[in-house]
Amino acid sequence: MASAMKKNFAANLVLIVTGIFIFFPLYAATEFSLRNGAEHTHGFAAYRWIFAQSGFIENLGITLRVTSLAVVLNLLIMVPTVTWLHLSGQRYKRLVEILTILPLIFPVVALATGAQLAMPDFMQNSVYELSFFYVVIAMPYTYRALDIGLSGHPLSTITNAARNLGASWLKTLSSVVIPTIRPSILAALFLMVALSLGEFTLAQLLHWSTFPVWVTNVSQQNVIGATALAIGSLFFAWILLFGFSFLGSKNSTTVQEEE
Amino acid sequence: MKQSTTSNVDVKGALVKKGAFHGFLTSSPIALLPLFLFLLVFFLWPIGALTGNAFKSNEGAFTFSNVTMLFQDPYRMAFKNSITLGLLSGLVGAIPGLAIAMAIEKQGNQTLKKFIASISGVLANTGGVPLAFMFLAAFGPAGLVISALKSVGLDLYGLGFTLFSFTGLIIVYAYFQIPIMVIVITPALTSLRKEWKDSAANLGASKFHYWQKVGLPILMPSFIACYLLLFASAFSAFATARALTVGNIALVPLQIGALVDGNVTINQANLGYALAFGMIIISLVAMIPYIWIQNRTARWQVR
Amino acid sequence: MSKDSLTVKGLSRQFGSVLALDNFNINVAKGELVALLGPSGCGKTTALRIIAGLEKSNTGSVTLNGKVITDEAAHTRNMGMVFQAYSLFPHLSVAENVAFGLKMRKVAKKKRDKKVGSILELVGLGNHHKRFAHQLSGGQQQRVALARALVIEPEVLLLDEPLSALDAQVRTNLREEIRRLQLSLGTTTLFVTHDQEEAMAISDRVGVMSNGRLEQIDTPDVLYNTPATAFVANFVGVMNHIPGVRSGKSVSIFGDSYKVRNLDGGDGHVVALIRPEQLDVEEAKKHGNARVVTRSFLGASSRIICELTDGTIVQSLKPSSESGGLHPGEMVNLSINTKEVLIANA
Repeated sequence: MASAMKKNFAANLVLIVTGIFIFFPLYAATEFSLRNGAEHTHGFAAYRWIFAQSGFIENLGITLRVTSLAVVLNLLIMVPTVTWLHLSGQRYKRLVEILTILPLIFPVVALATGAQLAMPDFMQNSVYELSFFYVVIAMPYTYRALDIGLSGHPLSTITNAARNLGASWLKTLSSVVIPTIRPSILAALFLMVALSLGEFTLAQLLHWSTFPVWVTNVSQQNVIGATALAIGSLFFAWILLFGFSFLGSKNSTTVQEEE
Repeated sequence: MKQSTTSNVDVKGALVKKGAFHGFLTSSPIALLPLFLFLLVFFLWPIGALTGNAFKSNEGAFTFSNVTMLFQDPYRMAFKNSITLGLLSGLVGAIPGLAIAMAIEKQGNQTLKKFIASISGVLANTGGVPLAFMFLAAFGPAGLVISALKSVGLDLYGLGFTLFSFTGLIIVYAYFQIPIMVIVITPALTSLRKEWKDSAANLGASKFHYWQKVGLPILMPSFIACYLLLFASAFSAFATARALTVGNIALVPLQIGALVDGNVTINQANLGYALAFGMIIISLVAMIPYIWIQNRTARWQVR
Repeated sequence: MSKDSLTVKGLSRQFGSVLALDNFNINVAKGELVALLGPSGCGKTTALRIIAGLEKSNTGSVTLNGKVITDEAAHTRNMGMVFQAYSLFPHLSVAENVAFGLKMRKVAKKKRDKKVGSILELVGLGNHHKRFAHQLSGGQQQRVALARALVIEPEVLLLDEPLSALDAQVRTNLREEIRRLQLSLGTTTLFVTHDQEEAMAISDRVGVMSNGRLEQIDTPDVLYNTPATAFVANFVGVMNHIPGVRSGKSVSIFGDSYKVRNLDGGDGHVVALIRPEQLDVEEAKKHGNARVVTRSFLGASSRIICELTDGTIVQSLKPSSESGGLHPGEMVNLSINTKEVLIANA
């Protein structure tokens, strides 16, 4: 037993040191955000200040709407495509893999300039143009999440079985395919949401005011408030992701080793 | 065992019926059309347009002059800075990231792994102003760490250190680079099969020899690939650089940002596209090997 | 005792609340091939890994050629080990894999190459020096793993279910090859498996394990004909369970009386453990004590499956020439052709 402790000593040391470096800025920022101005007392004044800011609700709403559209677009485009790939399109997998990883190669800054140049006016006049680009930017991650998730199930086998037992295509999709792949869909959508909620570069360069852009502008005015905003959004995202990891994990692919 | 003939026919009919969804089962690539079109319109077209404009003069004629301007200051400086930032930040993220990922694997605790996975996910997406302000609270001129050190006599800012510098950027970038590394290298680590470690030990290799002859050689391609990813990430980062530097450091993303923001004369419009094009080229140089390596090592990572 | 290459005494290993090994003892003589046979979870792999030095035991000792090696690290024990799968280093070629152990022992290049060449010839892969693991079939990979373990001339060869991941035909061929190699090189070998046919086919002795304990260790013949416990009897070969009534040292089955072999257990309703070849089947002239369910033609022998009056299913294994006339649904008379039977509780 003692040797096991010793063996893990180096590992534990690394983890503890890492923990300190990760949490220290968090601690500093949290402490800072709870300060009451120049006095050395602490309180939630800064957090109240955030909500009092005009533009908080409005910009949050814009971001949420853009995110919703991005999620819908993802559902409409990515899910059927990846499902089809696994059911009858295995031949084209390589091609799609290459296509979906392309966005990873091109910097968002570059994409922004191209978007401004190429997009027709009716697109550029709507904040929802962001949704479309967010789907593109997220594609390497959402495709992979869907692909890996679907690979864990013998999709063509179970659809064949369902069809063989008399289910129509519609019934097969609704009662067999979708329930099976639902966790993967959720995982992919979650990636889309995470990206969209925090995306700054494209929104800023295309001159839209979304929540992250608004946060940046508002931060100039009040350092403590800005720090509170930073910490608040971080913890919020953290809790969301942590909770989600437990939600999605009950389906986690357990690949059996050969017997 | 007896079935009425009519129900047999019904069942059969359903199987053969070419309903609306029968087309779904077609193996014709027409099913890929939505994806293709989407990528074409919202990705290839913008990229193509900017590439085209990178080589256009103000009159619309083909020219290399925009691109050649990239090799002169201040753009040359910006490229040099951005590339250096990428190379250094990549290292600062890759090496600790690997150590941490290894420590996590060693530790083995499942809840800890889940916890770290979720934190890494959040931290990897942290950037821009929120991240900058967090570090300001700790390492800014009035930051906690700085004040604490001052009280014991070590005045870092007096000695010339500042968060708003190249070094500061690297420190701040590490906050999301290291989690990215942990996320991306962990699959490669878990694919190191226990049987290899056991076989090596059995054949006479000490722990050191195992890492030297088996572990590290197998990990090396993945490590390089991840390093390239971190390079590209630091090279292209915009939000955090904008938050921390006030124009005192020339970086390519920031220059593009400035040109896009409209502080630009007509003459310089196409220059912005040339800059973007330059960024794309460098990114390609880093990412194509990344993709190639990941594809090849996927063979070993059977899991 | 001095003939023994490997001596294991009193090995115990606890994982949390599970006792994986419970006072495990075994002696393996030089040049002997001993199999550890048992269902998953019986502790056989744990025992093997402790002997290899890949895990530590809570109590007990491991002695190799008179030297106690219990506390020695795995990489100094000079044992060769073959795992179930995936053990070849993916980044090294076949030849480099096999040479690995020799490199660790600082064998000179010329000598190394010669040894690698000859062992690869020995396992039938002389033309595969430059291939890589992912280019080989499962059977080929295991042969490389075997070559890699044997080329270092280990004191003991340890095999952890080496055939379990392979196809049936490959399994049968490879197990013969393992035996052939082991005999020609004279390597002391410990072979873990859950496949009783495999263990019985190639081993000098077989140790049957259950729940961390060694139930019986004997030659295959003895194990088959005189199993010491009900577990061993059921695990090794096929056993019929025929109801009978016991009183004292004799038991009544199908109306006839037989001697009871095991001395423990009480009187009353019991179950007799009868091998298929010990069960005779005859067409019933008048009444019978069983009905034929199916007859499976296996070539020289046939398996006749019958149902007793109380519903118990039994099987008999007889030469096909003697059982041609039996058909499903027929009434038959079953009888036992040994004098002594093994009894288990009902």
